[in-house]
Amino acid sequence: MIPRHFQITIGLVLLAILISGLVIIRLTHREEDMAMHASDNAPVVPVVAGKQEHIQVLVAYDEDQALRWRTADVFLPADRGLRAKETLRAVLAQYLQSPSPHPLAQGSDIRDVYFIGNDTLVVDTTAQFADGHPSGILLEEMTLASMIESLTANVPGISKVKFLVDGRERETLAGHADLMSFYQTNAVHELAKEFE
Amino acid sequence: MRWNRFLIIFGIASGICVQAMISGVAPEQQLTVYTAQTTYSLPVVEREGKPYIGLADLLAPLGAGAPQLKGKEWRVQLNKSEARLAEGKDKAIIQGTQFDLEGKVRVEDQRVLVPMAAALPLLSRLLNVSIDFHQPSRRLFVGNILARFSASFKDGDTPSLTLTFSQPVDPDADRGEDRSGVLFTHSDHTTLIFRKEPVISETSKQEFGNGAIQSMTFSEENGKAVLTVTGNAHLNIVRSDDRKTITLQPATPAASASPAAQAVPATDSQHRGQEFFVMIDAGHGGYDKGANFGGKLLEKDVTLRLARDLRKELEERGIPSRMLRDSDVDVPMERRAEITNEQRAGIYVALHAGGPGHGVRVYTPLLADPQQATGRFLPWDSAQVAALDRSKAAGQAIASELRKKGMDVATLGIPIRPLNNLVVPAIAVELAPEGDDLQSLGSSKRNAGIVSAIATGITQVRGQIGARP
Repeated sequence: MIPRHFQITIGLVLLAILISGLVIIRLTHREEDMAMHASDNAPVVPVVAGKQEHIQVLVAYDEDQALRWRTADVFLPADRGLRAKETLRAVLAQYLQSPSPHPLAQGSDIRDVYFIGNDTLVVDTTAQFADGHPSGILLEEMTLASMIESLTANVPGISKVKFLVDGRERETLAGHADLMSFYQTNAVHELAKEFE
Repeated sequence: MRWNRFLIIFGIASGICVQAMISGVAPEQQLTVYTAQTTYSLPVVEREGKPYIGLADLLAPLGAGAPQLKGKEWRVQLNKSEARLAEGKDKAIIQGTQFDLEGKVRVEDQRVLVPMAAALPLLSRLLNVSIDFHQPSRRLFVGNILARFSASFKDGDTPSLTLTFSQPVDPDADRGEDRSGVLFTHSDHTTLIFRKEPVISETSKQEFGNGAIQSMTFSEENGKAVLTVTGNAHLNIVRSDDRKTITLQPATPAASASPAAQAVPATDSQHRGQEFFVMIDAGHGGYDKGANFGGKLLEKDVTLRLARDLRKELEERGIPSRMLRDSDVDVPMERRAEITNEQRAGIYVALHAGGPGHGVRVYTPLLADPQQATGRFLPWDSAQVAALDRSKAAGQAIASELRKKGMDVATLGIPIRPLNNLVVPAIAVELAPEGDDLQSLGSSKRNAGIVSAIATGITQVRGQIGARP
């Protein structure tokens, strides 16, 4: 005859094992979901057409409040629009890596770019780019300056750049940097020089 | 005979064209929503004879996400409450209860349109607050936020009408000749238009019987309230510093006797003679929280505290100042520029806080390719052009004073709003936390040094920046 207290102990141990198993299964599923979600938000997908090029991109470094030129290997097509899009994605890729010199939210990406005439570029970003952008005058201006300077370095002839968020105009990036106006690339060049 | 008929038809057609040109394009219909935190307007369109509004236009300013299509239903969430609507249906399910929308839901280019009348059940259920909806005038008040006013008429040689409001107001006049809050208006009527304020009145008309100020009518139309004072004189509109009192009186004592002599233009010398004051803009406010410092400190609170400290510091030095916000309210960026320009501030100082790095950053406007003024109008995006040098001088003076106090200071020309939209000298000051100590942003000792340096810098260049070109 097994004592009653021993039966209760065995029962509790079995129950604990069952609950632990369920928790482990749930955590495993969540981990898989997060991994899948992260891959959904991966910002840079090399385009099929085009050849790999070494390009210069201007990268923001929060720690020393500076912008520095860095080399990136990017598949660049001949088309100016696609070239602009891939250049911007190359900049964002710098910020989405870990550790990041200037962290941006996962899912920050370029939805599309449009040329108005030959010299004006409209950049449509994802909602995550603006919604998750850290707020601060300097942080926001460094992001925009690095993107615009990288554009002008790799896609000649752009004199004005306008940003949209998820297809719509937005007043500011994250409370500070102006997204309503067209950025003049020559003015941004002057601004960027102060950061270099 | 045939020619006569042709001429008649031609004449009628020409008349119709001329009439159409004279009448102009009808103003866009809009619904204005007033909440304790903000006021916003959204377009109203007509579908099958009924006014419709965009669901996202109505709810997004209150913090709702975009409507999501799930199966055949559009779902939108606000404050953890959910509304479910379906195209072609005139009912919605809000928090599990069915409500009549007084018209069918329409979807156009992935944009969900609902009858304007549906704003009432949608907002009252999703926000769980009382709603006062003035449908004919398209004004919707969320919660108990109504602004009332009383009118006090004083007769005599110089009659005056004093309007006292229960909360600060900034009405527009129908003619914008502005000098330090004084507006010259039409000789037979003066119109105050309240676009952002939830002003209401139980009385639609009051008679006063005097020549210069004869009557006052209140009306609501197309998402705004309008106060019209009739008489036979140009009236000055003088606003009190706390913006709760507006006094109307004839521009000159002789004006009421001689309407022909009433046109008193606001001259540049009058502008020069007005009092210098600092417009302090505490960044963000209301829904716009700005930067979040570790979940415990918000930029909007840091900037408001700093703004109040700066006001006190300036007062002690005898420099007048006004604050664009003195509570936790959302003031749209364009409105901040409009108020500063209208009131002709001596200098505008925006206060911000944020990383990265440490110390203090002083920003001045950056204009790349300023557009030239056309006639009397300045291009909005480069309105700063005439004041740019004075903005830079003020920025340098303040940066120099901050350095004298041992602070690490950076100065930058930068295109942030609303600096480029201001016609007066304008700077922005951003505090960064000291290293990893986010709480340093709220340090009274540190902030005292910063506001002291800003006030000293302004004092030094006051004579230089106060002079208008």
